Amino acid sequence: MSQTDPVDATDEMNRTAGQTISTTDGETAEETRSEWVDYDTGGKTKLAVKDLDVHYSDDHALKDVSMDIPEQSVTALIGPSGCGKSTFLRCLNRMNDRIRSASINGTVELDGEDIYQDGIDLVELRKRVGMVFQSPNPFPKSIRANVSYGPRKHGDIETGLLARLTGRADPESEEELVKRSLERAALWEEVSDRLEDNALGLSGGQQQRLCIARCLAVDPEIILMDEPASALDPIATSKIEDLIEDLAQDYTVVVVTHSMQQAARVSDQTAVFLTGGELVEYDNTEKIFEDPESQRVEDYISGKFG
Amino acid sequence: MSRATETALVREGRSSYEGAAATAIGLSGVVFAVGLGTLVDVLKITPPAAGVQLSTAMGIALLSLGVGVIGFGLASRLGYVDTRPQPSAGIVAAVAFTCVWFAIGALVAGAIGLGTVSWMAVGLVAGAVAFAVTAFPREDIGSTLPAGSVAVLGGVALATGVIGPGWEWVLVSYNATLFGDTAVPVVVMFASLLTGWAAAKAYGGFGARGRNVGAYVLIYLIVLSILSVLVGLVAFVVVKGLPGLFHGFSIGGEQVISWPFLTNGASLLADVAGVFPALVGTVWLVIGAVLFAVPTGVGAAVFLSEYAEQGRFTQVVEVATNGLWSTPSIVFGLFGAAFLIPRFGNNKSLIAGMLTLGFMLLPLVLITSREAILAVPDEYRDASAALGVSKWKTIRSVVLPAAVPGITTGVILGVGRIAGETAPILLTTGGGVLPGKSAAPSVLGGFQVSASPPFVTNPSLLEATSALPYQLYALITAGLSGNIEAPQQFAWGLALTLLLVVLVFYAIGIATRYYFRKKLHQ
Repeated sequence: MSQTDPVDATDEMNRTAGQTISTTDGETAEETRSEWVDYDTGGKTKLAVKDLDVHYSDDHALKDVSMDIPEQSVTALIGPSGCGKSTFLRCLNRMNDRIRSASINGTVELDGEDIYQDGIDLVELRKRVGMVFQSPNPFPKSIRANVSYGPRKHGDIETGLLARLTGRADPESEEELVKRSLERAALWEEVSDRLEDNALGLSGGQQQRLCIARCLAVDPEIILMDEPASALDPIATSKIEDLIEDLAQDYTVVVVTHSMQQAARVSDQTAVFLTGGELVEYDNTEKIFEDPESQRVEDYISGKFG
Repeated sequence: MSRATETALVREGRSSYEGAAATAIGLSGVVFAVGLGTLVDVLKITPPAAGVQLSTAMGIALLSLGVGVIGFGLASRLGYVDTRPQPSAGIVAAVAFTCVWFAIGALVAGAIGLGTVSWMAVGLVAGAVAFAVTAFPREDIGSTLPAGSVAVLGGVALATGVIGPGWEWVLVSYNATLFGDTAVPVVVMFASLLTGWAAAKAYGGFGARGRNVGAYVLIYLIVLSILSVLVGLVAFVVVKGLPGLFHGFSIGGEQVISWPFLTNGASLLADVAGVFPALVGTVWLVIGAVLFAVPTGVGAAVFLSEYAEQGRFTQVVEVATNGLWSTPSIVFGLFGAAFLIPRFGNNKSLIAGMLTLGFMLLPLVLITSREAILAVPDEYRDASAALGVSKWKTIRSVVLPAAVPGITTGVILGVGRIAGETAPILLTTGGGVLPGKSAAPSVLGGFQVSASPPFVTNPSLLEATSALPYQLYALITAGLSGNIEAPQQFAWGLALTLLLVVLVFYAIGIATRYYFRKKLHQ
């Protein structure tokens, strides 16, 4: 383990050689310490990530990340662009499997079960771990069809000619599911009178809340959000933020964000990723924003870097 | 303060100049349209209108346009109006005018009767002068003077009757004669195109804005000519075909609408010979081909774009598909005749034609479906996967519906091509030259259930059947001397029917596409 000049001299006295991790290109920016990321979340652990390592071809995107995500809380992942926070998020419901060049090592345990073991049912996993994307991506279908899409495809709601012929069609339960999901996503009031309209006619903020409703309709336990408000205006953003706080009462929310303010406003605990795919610090949000242990995290949060 | 005046946003004192230029653009457009009309025989150059022959009138118009355009250039160059010309008209204009004037010089010298060396020399000199005049002076002169001179020259030639209705030029080495009624419109259209462009540049005050306006006018005039060629072609067939198509047509009476041309066969007993068997044959051929090609083509496209690893294999398939699409139809026909016919009772048959046309349609459906599927945003696939929906269900309920408009476009284009194909039908489907009404295939009524394999048979699929393009071809090769009255009228009616059938298929396709687009976006 070679070590080159540390960037920050004030931390030098705290450093012991064994805790220094050098990056692949030989530059050691600053040490990362295991106690900075060893945050005891207190609550019941929903997702336990251990030594997660992701490569895209030759690119080492995520380095030995370990963290516990407690249930029914909001966990924010922040960091500069390209730091691996979205990669980390996409590992949690195995969306990275869809990228052919990605190779993933380590374990992610959902309620104590490793989701990277052989024979895992991806359909079941993604039903339990929902995801909302950066730019709103409703299907070019009606609002109702967007919300009921997941349950329909999973066979939870039967519609169509055959279901009607066999008497298994249940329009009331679909109606109720659509209403409940839209209400939970704080969109019902705005669209209740035009459920048959195409979802692409909604505004960006409404589309994003529709995507959240679509995700809620399959009744997940965890909701992953990849910069859910970055494509939205301030008013739509604040609605999404309110919604995130509200959802945390029932769901485990993990949200990637570029906005420090957003992380500070909505999250219970915050993980800071810095360039090179390292998790540098993971702690209570207040602690991260007021008194971070790492100098680099402090620089990043105060806007000196990144 | 010279800079302030140079960059003034509003140019003053140009309204009359702009008005004159706009008039010149309009006049160029009118002259161009009249030229186009004479070229496609809508207007005649011979009969005098108000005492003046049309060609003479157009010559005078061209002459005044040419003088006007040169005047615009001079007025701008001498500073009477506020324009923004660039230092030169540019290399493209210079080369274009060089070619134009080389051709004019060579033609004039040749027409006067100079020898080979001389006309070449005259052409070269004219081209060189045009190049110099375009390239060296400022843009206002460079783009108006050569264009205006073409119009002046053409105008003088037309107005003085050097080129006119009686004019003809025997092209010895081509064994052909060029007549005045072709030469006049060509001169008129070409010269008015140039004056329209130059006047448009003057209207925009030269410079970037002038070039912009010039390009617009040029593009509009060319689009006009393309459209008129299309309209002219269709109108020609319609005018020639209408008498045949509506021969014996009546509304009222027992059948409410009686349209014997479409409902009769061509038997000796029928009062009016009709194209019913061929019409039904064509419709069934197209339906059969679409039923075969669309599922296979879309299926292959789904495999290639969603499942197959993008690499060498898909590239090879792509090249092969493109090659298949450009394969001549007679080759498909030969394949059908040599491969399919022996397998379907050794006779020319409807089903052999359906499959052959299906093979022809397949590559286009595959290419367009593949592109339509690839154009579906990955966000939809991601969103669906994140909801735990399997790949196939995602393809079926999100990807394919979003790709339907693109797929439909491919099918429309393909149907347009195969409905009019003659060669494959000639080799695989056959049918009589003038089939009677009983020869029409009755595919729906033809199904028979039997106790032994293959359990369901349909003799009408295995019979030779006529089709519209084939019958037209057969009529023409038979010398239009069949046992029907007015075979010429019959043939034109047949051609119009074929055109209408293709248009109906187009209309169905476009309506389908419109429906699905609307469903996706509203």
